Amino acid sequence: MRPDRKLLLLSLPVVLIGGLVATIIGGFVIWRVAAHYFYPLELIAKAAPTQPIRFTHVTHAGQLGIDCTFCHRTVTEERTAGIPAVQQCMFCHAVIKGVEEDKASEIAKLQEYAANDEPIDWIRVHRLPDHVQFTHEVHIRRLPEVLGLGEDFQIQAVCSTCHGKIWEMEEVRQVRALKMGDCVDCHRANNAPTDCVICHY
Amino acid sequence: MAEPQVDVKWSMVVDIDKCTGCQACVVACQSENNVPISTQELYDQRRQMTWIRVERYWEGDFPDVKARYIPIMCQHCDTAPCEPVCPVFATYHNNEGLNVQVYNRCVGTRYCANNCPYQVRFFNFWEPVWPDSLKNQLNPDVTVRSRGIMEKCSFCVQRLRRSERDAAQNGDDRPADDAFDPSHGAFAPACVRACPTDALVFGDANNPNSRVASLAHSDRRYHLLEHLGTEPNVIYLKKIDPEAGDGNHE
Repeated sequence: MRPDRKLLLLSLPVVLIGGLVATIIGGFVIWRVAAHYFYPLELIAKAAPTQPIRFTHVTHAGQLGIDCTFCHRTVTEERTAGIPAVQQCMFCHAVIKGVEEDKASEIAKLQEYAANDEPIDWIRVHRLPDHVQFTHEVHIRRLPEVLGLGEDFQIQAVCSTCHGKIWEMEEVRQVRALKMGDCVDCHRANNAPTDCVICHY
Repeated sequence: MAEPQVDVKWSMVVDIDKCTGCQACVVACQSENNVPISTQELYDQRRQMTWIRVERYWEGDFPDVKARYIPIMCQHCDTAPCEPVCPVFATYHNNEGLNVQVYNRCVGTRYCANNCPYQVRFFNFWEPVWPDSLKNQLNPDVTVRSRGIMEKCSFCVQRLRRSERDAAQNGDDRPADDAFDPSHGAFAPACVRACPTDALVFGDANNPNSRVASLAHSDRRYHLLEHLGTEPNVIYLKKIDPEAGDGNHE
């Protein structure tokens, strides 16, 4: 007996649409599971933003080896690391004008900000989710002990735990998920407090 | 590096005899904790937000009328009625004796507020708004609660975190107990700091040397709605009436 042509014709769109939906849902599930296990996948979308001045940590923190805390001054005392004021850039850049063409033009931008008494509108790279009260100070204070750095260490070793090798980045980007799971995993592993109200208030 | 010491138990003593009903604590709390502004309209709807309020009672008949004031904030009960009714564990007791509200867990069932005998929990029926002139006065250490979640007095836990930080930088284990110790690391909520008559006292009830612990043994002590067995961490000291004349207190 031949299959019913009419029935076959009717079932065709059902199979097609069903297959499509299954592919989408299946793909989404696989993507979420993969993102869960390999969290850096979530960071692929987070490309480094283009900053108003093409400031490079490679020169400052890398080649010159300036300490992180020299510019991010409040990191050892306060909640926020702090972005240096334009005046602080001018400590050096009042004199250093740059030799190469591309660098000199960026430094000229900085000097223009300073001349106009304007702050620079840096684009924030690391933004934690809402409802989190993160404090840099306590992490800077405790991490050397956790990492087993001993008495004599470079602050870069501490900062790079979460921020990655900033001194190798032409443009700063986020390297860790910095979601709650990320925080709690580290807190559990190192016997740090996991009470909700430590961070959420 | 260990869990924070569990033997701390933050507690407050409210001396009704010293309270003049000046509302300084209410204002201090409002500005410290980003509490939305309660307008006449919100009061009419009974949706006002005041983490601490001063209740006023009249005593006696005219012309011998006396005003009585009771500042009421979250009592941080040891057996809090609000905690077991939360379906998502957004409110719980932590190891420092604080009744904690976790904003990002809260789904806004309002069970807790309905089960609270002190009426100190407040629900955000609307997105909070501030006039433009107050935009920059919001405290960056405190979350601005959005619409649909519950909030209440936290004993200014942001101040506790800050003073823990200050204490650690000074090499101390934890903040000093005496809220009126002007040294670094002393921790007190905004209302206590603002109280001009020293009617509010804050500290660690487990430390026998703290002012709170000594005041808590006063024979004037009582809890609000003590018969409910909520075991509050806020202790009230009852009014000394000069005309009653026994004067044998403290």
